[in-house]
Amino acid sequence: MGQLEVMGRRVLRAQLGGETIRAITGSMVAYEGRFDFRNAGFGGDDGVMAGLRRRATGEALSLMECTGQGVIYFAVMAQDVTVVDMDNDTLQVESRQLLAFSGNLRTDVRFTGLRGASSGQGLFTTIVSGSGQVALLSAGGPLIGLEVSPQYPVVVDPDAFVAAHGNVQSSFLTDVSWANVVGEGGGEAFSLNWQGNGVVYIQPAERV
Amino acid sequence: MGAFELVNSKVLKADLAAAGSVLARKGAMLYYTGDVGFVPATAGGVQAMGAGGFGGPGQGMSSGSGMGGMAGGLMGAALRGMSGEFQQMMAAQGHGVVHYGYAGLHVTLVQLNGEPMCVEASRLLAHTAGLQSSVVSVTQASGGGGGGGGGGGLRGLMRGAVAGVATGQGMWTTQLTGAGEVALLSHGGTFELPVTPNGVVVDPQAYVAHRGNVQVQFSASLGWRDAVGRGSGEATQLQVTGQGVVYVQASEEKL
Repeated sequence: MGQLEVMGRRVLRAQLGGETIRAITGSMVAYEGRFDFRNAGFGGDDGVMAGLRRRATGEALSLMECTGQGVIYFAVMAQDVTVVDMDNDTLQVESRQLLAFSGNLRTDVRFTGLRGASSGQGLFTTIVSGSGQVALLSAGGPLIGLEVSPQYPVVVDPDAFVAAHGNVQSSFLTDVSWANVVGEGGGEAFSLNWQGNGVVYIQPAERV
Repeated sequence: MGAFELVNSKVLKADLAAAGSVLARKGAMLYYTGDVGFVPATAGGVQAMGAGGFGGPGQGMSSGSGMGGMAGGLMGAALRGMSGEFQQMMAAQGHGVVHYGYAGLHVTLVQLNGEPMCVEASRLLAHTAGLQSSVVSVTQASGGGGGGGGGGGLRGLMRGAVAGVATGQGMWTTQLTGAGEVALLSHGGTFELPVTPNGVVVDPQAYVAHRGNVQVQFSASLGWRDAVGRGSGEATQLQVTGQGVVYVQASEEKL
């Protein structure tokens, strides 16, 4: 398993001894040692079906496999980086905010359908499951973790949503009265309601 | 010493009393206090010409040798115009304190004590006038004192051209020599990566500058996968070897 750690605020540092990690294509900024880079967007652990789904949903995200020995650094558009440890559980990530993850985690792509299209959120969410480490990106500042419990569901803006960790489910809120009150041309007509047990991560900026 | 100071991560405060005079990117001045005069200058050795009577301490550009001397001439101007490595600079002189900032970019301060530094002109916010600047080819910019002086020859020129075309990066870079302070611009801040004899590899888009006796070589591994858009996105890389430090930014955004 690759050791992922945040260096400063915006750079992910990974120490590898021959393992493989996957990261957003083109996100490597520097490395010491020997590394090979290979496209991993289609096939691989994702499975061909995930690749097909990604194609069908117009998925623009692509991943590369980085294998080698040494230290490698990743960064994307000066966004803040947060490392989340996973212990045999599930993380639902907005695909564009997934910077890197260790090689033994499984990924799948879930079609989020019309809700994504109407809210401006991506049409799909990446599901990461298993044990390992995931590095998330957040624009506008450090990631914010919101606890979700059965008594306390959390409603977030779909454009600020980054990831949900644990046993949580989302439903799409289009409360008309709520939209009328708050969203009088303000664009807050749609929101994500998270329920269950876990943590929802948001970024202090809204994707455009 | 202590002429440059950061007000926050994005604003530079320059004390002219300590700096003598300061050369900064044109348009980067935010505000100043005191009796300060601004004179246009050009990066890469011609500031002595362009600034007329401007002569700060250690500003002996006309006596520069090799590439420095050439950069001051018509040839240098032509090369810069051609390569896009051309950045209007402003010299601030007098008594007072000048604040600089540019496009909300992060500022990194570097202290130079004789070792050379190479930085892309678009990433150079300011430097104290005690430093001499000249324009050298990226691949020639080994940092060995005189700044190449045509040492790389045609081959170096070709390599530089290839690198420039492939990465969108200029084939020329600004070399600073002497003692003084430098302020670099970056998207998201920089981190220092020590360069070991074994070398480090940097993404050309994330490369900001390097300091010390360092060689930069461009390497490309463009395959058919890249042609059809299925590459890893890391086909072009900068191999950095030698002794020194390379400054890498937390983003792949070019300036």
